[in-house]
Amino acid sequence: MNRVQNTKIILWLITGFAAAVGLNRFIFGLGATTNLTDSTPWGLWIGFDVMGGVALAAGGFVMTAIFYIMKREEFHPLVKPAVLTAFLGYMAVILGLLFDLGLPWNIWHMIIFWNPHSPLFEVGWCVMLYSAVLLLEFSPVPLEKYSRYAKIRNFLMKFRFVFVLLGIMLSTLHQSSLGSLFLIMPFKLHPLWYSNILPIQFFLSAVALGLMMVAFESLASHWLYKRKPETSLVEKLGKTVVWVLSIYLIVKIIDILAAGEITIVLNGSWESFVFISEIFISIIFPIIIFSVPKMRRNIKAQWIGSFMVVFGMVFNRINVGGLTMLSITGDSYTPSWMEITISLGVVSAAALVFLFVIEHFNIWDLKPQDPESLPHTAPSFDYSSHAWLGTPDAASLTKFSLAFVLSFAVGMALMPEKKLHGKGIEEITVSRASGIERLLINGNKDDNLVEFPHKEHIARLGEDQCAQCHHLTLPRFIENSCWECHTNMYKPVDYFKHNWHASSSGANIKCDNCHVEGVQRESKSAKNCVDCHPKYDFNNARFIGSQKYFAISYTDAFHQLCVSCHFIKADELNKQNLTECKSCHKVKIHDQVAENLKWKTTLPHFNSVILPNIEKEKNQSEMSKDEKENINN
Amino acid sequence: MESWLEFAKGPLFRLTFAIMLLGLIRIFMLDIWGIYKAYRKAGDKNMPWKLVLSRGLEWFFPVNRVARNRPFYSTFSTLFHIGLLVVPIFLYAHVKQWEKSIGISWITLPFDWAYWLTISTIVFAIALLMGRMFNKSSSFLSRKQDYLWPILLLIPFITGFVCAHLNVNPTYYQFFMLMHVLSGNLIFILIPFTKIAHCVLMPLSQVVCTIAWKFPPETDEAVCSTLNKKGAAV
Ligand code: HEC
Ligand code: HEC
Ligand code: HEM
Repeated sequence: MNRVQNTKIILWLITGFAAAVGLNRFIFGLGATTNLTDSTPWGLWIGFDVMGGVALAAGGFVMTAIFYIMKREEFHPLVKPAVLTAFLGYMAVILGLLFDLGLPWNIWHMIIFWNPHSPLFEVGWCVMLYSAVLLLEFSPVPLEKYSRYAKIRNFLMKFRFVFVLLGIMLSTLHQSSLGSLFLIMPFKLHPLWYSNILPIQFFLSAVALGLMMVAFESLASHWLYKRKPETSLVEKLGKTVVWVLSIYLIVKIIDILAAGEITIVLNGSWESFVFISEIFISIIFPIIIFSVPKMRRNIKAQWIGSFMVVFGMVFNRINVGGLTMLSITGDSYTPSWMEITISLGVVSAAALVFLFVIEHFNIWDLKPQDPESLPHTAPSFDYSSHAWLGTPDAASLTKFSLAFVLSFAVGMALMPEKKLHGKGIEEITVSRASGIERLLINGNKDDNLVEFPHKEHIARLGEDQCAQCHHLTLPRFIENSCWECHTNMYKPVDYFKHNWHASSSGANIKCDNCHVEGVQRESKSAKNCVDCHPKYDFNNARFIGSQKYFAISYTDAFHQLCVSCHFIKADELNKQNLTECKSCHKVKIHDQVAENLKWKTTLPHFNSVILPNIEKEKNQSEMSKDEKENINN
Repeated sequence: MESWLEFAKGPLFRLTFAIMLLGLIRIFMLDIWGIYKAYRKAGDKNMPWKLVLSRGLEWFFPVNRVARNRPFYSTFSTLFHIGLLVVPIFLYAHVKQWEKSIGISWITLPFDWAYWLTISTIVFAIALLMGRMFNKSSSFLSRKQDYLWPILLLIPFITGFVCAHLNVNPTYYQFFMLMHVLSGNLIFILIPFTKIAHCVLMPLSQVVCTIAWKFPPETDEAVCSTLNKKGAAV
């Protein structure tokens, strides 16, 4: 076993695990996998995968500019890896976006349905064009290996300079336009990160990050393959980055001073702490490290310095991309483990492709070799089972694929069950109504209660009409209230506890005592509830399907029951205000919704109330007129 | 026991099923890759593809030359395999589980068919096991796992039958169901790593055999030198 093999196995493990989680995301949706909400729609995936990915790819345009335009020939060994990283970075961005988009299959829409006023439109096109250019810029390298494609390669080489120029232009545009994206949300972003010159700041930091990413990558891959590190080149990159970082720092300081935000920097809130640490990690420490010549030449210092810039700038993107909006939106977002896993998986997959490409194509003058993949090294044995794993390259494939399969399976095992609806509809077990003559219905205890004149309704309907509303009575009860079956505020529940009936700790009934013997055990062959519970009165059942025993949600139950009768009675008694929301909801909901829009709190329940669809057009048109008046008032 | 059952039907099932599915795909791909490598090294690249295909197909059907040697064995084996594959895939109760968890369902076995197929699979499995034990030449060739596999395969069939057709009380039902699901899960894990992998590798075996005859004459020496045993007898 060796360094490269171990690293690859770890990367395969992460990728496999993330693949299973990713499957979960595509089957069950964002709600089941992420902690994102309507007020925090951009989380880790945007902050890290997309914003961070684009920023990490900045090495591509920085190195090509240095090499082709400034003609600094000595940087030649770094150009190809940098372009490759940029390409893979953008691929990772696209992959990350596919996870984040609610309807990923619509990603092609922006190609056809143009909306040139949208910053996202610009960002999307930049990503698309720049990835295409990067592909053209990089493809001569793999094509080199196949003489068949010599013509295509020559053609591409002829236009290389054009691609390089286009690439530099596009990514300059794109790095800064990611900044402009946030110009449209001045009230959401924390003032320390919001700035009118956000595009410029993004561009400057991308240049610094690009330089240091190239340095870091060179150090890391040379460590991995046990080659002599390119210390002198990294040193030169370090010298350059001091300048860029200094300009960035000055711009930032001036910006803060001009906006009069210096007090916010020092006010001791968690944002100020994050801001100060970001400045120190991404700017000040690296400047110190790379301006002292002795440190600049030291390989350990190079590791630390380049990592600090990379980490600090990605941290900056995460901050701008969502973290620092939290105090303003009042949300509490922490990425779910599944979001983190998928982010890591995207990075690992990109790293695996990177390693594959540098092993198989001429990225460096001297191709690195995974020692186990040389054709004449002795065959490899699996030390645990002493099994011969085939020729060395077959052996590594065997190991990697096994790692992938096993971690994928573990990921599948950890998939959460019964979370199909995610956070969108909250899982709230209702509590019973209080009061005797006037019931206070407050299922989810949010104090938006409905005061229900129970006694009046009995008087109106007659004492013998209880079953109109109390349509089902559980065994050994005389009457049951709504909350006993409609146990969930917003979701339907299966109130027939099948497994409970058939288990020894429950009703302890044998299967064939309910299902006819000698026939398939299914709904059709099952006995009906009334066969054992004669008190159940299904004839009065209001909305019961006879086979599927589902109790609709508490909210829906009330709306269907109360509102439909009120619609009818409103007509009969000619009291149109009976159909209005506010005849029951005395607390003004509109105020609450308005409050909600100020991003103070999230009350997802307002999204999920479904009013019954009653075909009373006359009433409905009048209601909407009434409502309009209401809102005008 | 209920929570154990819940665990075995949920997370554990997903784990083992994923291992089986991906594991089978994995060894299939590795095999194809190995065949491709071997093919590139073969001295004579004229592969009799048609012959390979017809030989391969011949193995799938019970009426072939081999069957004439051991007619009982091959009939029993074929019938056993039919039940082994059809029952777990198309059983109504199994399909219902899929429908509940991921919402996909497919055609199911009628009740009586499931009943008779299960019984026949159990009977044929026992017959095959007996054959292996009492036939001298096959017991000489058998390893431990060759006896263990039929026994392991019998467990889910017998426990499943008990649950589905004997009206046992809930405690026994849950116990047998737990054994059923656990043994099923064990089978899933073992499939890609043991001889049962033949379910996907079988179609490739003819190709592998044929390629082996096509290696250049001095291949054995190359093998020896790779193993650092130059000059050793092959
Ligand atoms: C208390 C009576 C009762 C017992 C005991 C009982 N069932 Fe059921 N079973 C039902 C009813 C009622 C339905 C229909 C449920 C529905 O449609 O929602 C049903 C439905 C089913 C279904 C079809 C589920 C579906 O989604 O269509 C299966 C399978 C089933 N039962 C198997 C069993 C097995 C196996 C046992 C023994 C462990 C058992 N039942 C014990 C009453 C029972
Ligand atoms: C069978 C028909 C019917 C059902 C079911 C019903 N109501 Fe009523 N409700 C009425 C009638 C009729 C009135 C009285 C109208 C009037 O004369 O002012 C009324 C009046 C009310 C009032 C007083 C309205 C006002 O403006 O003074 C409230 C509050 C109310 N109902 C709430 C509910 C709730 C909550 C439910 C569901 C649990 C419900 N009702 C179910 C028929 C019904
Ligand atoms: C190799 C794996 C398996 C085999 C060969 C197998 C086979 C069977 C057989 C033969 C039956 C009886 C069918 C009949 O006679 O009608 C059965 C029933 C059943 N099996 Fe499996 N099974 C396997 C795995 C599983 C797993 C993993 C689960 C659960 C996740 C499961 C759940 C059930 C259920 C619920 C029944 C129905 C019992 C009833 O109707 O009461 N099985 N199975």
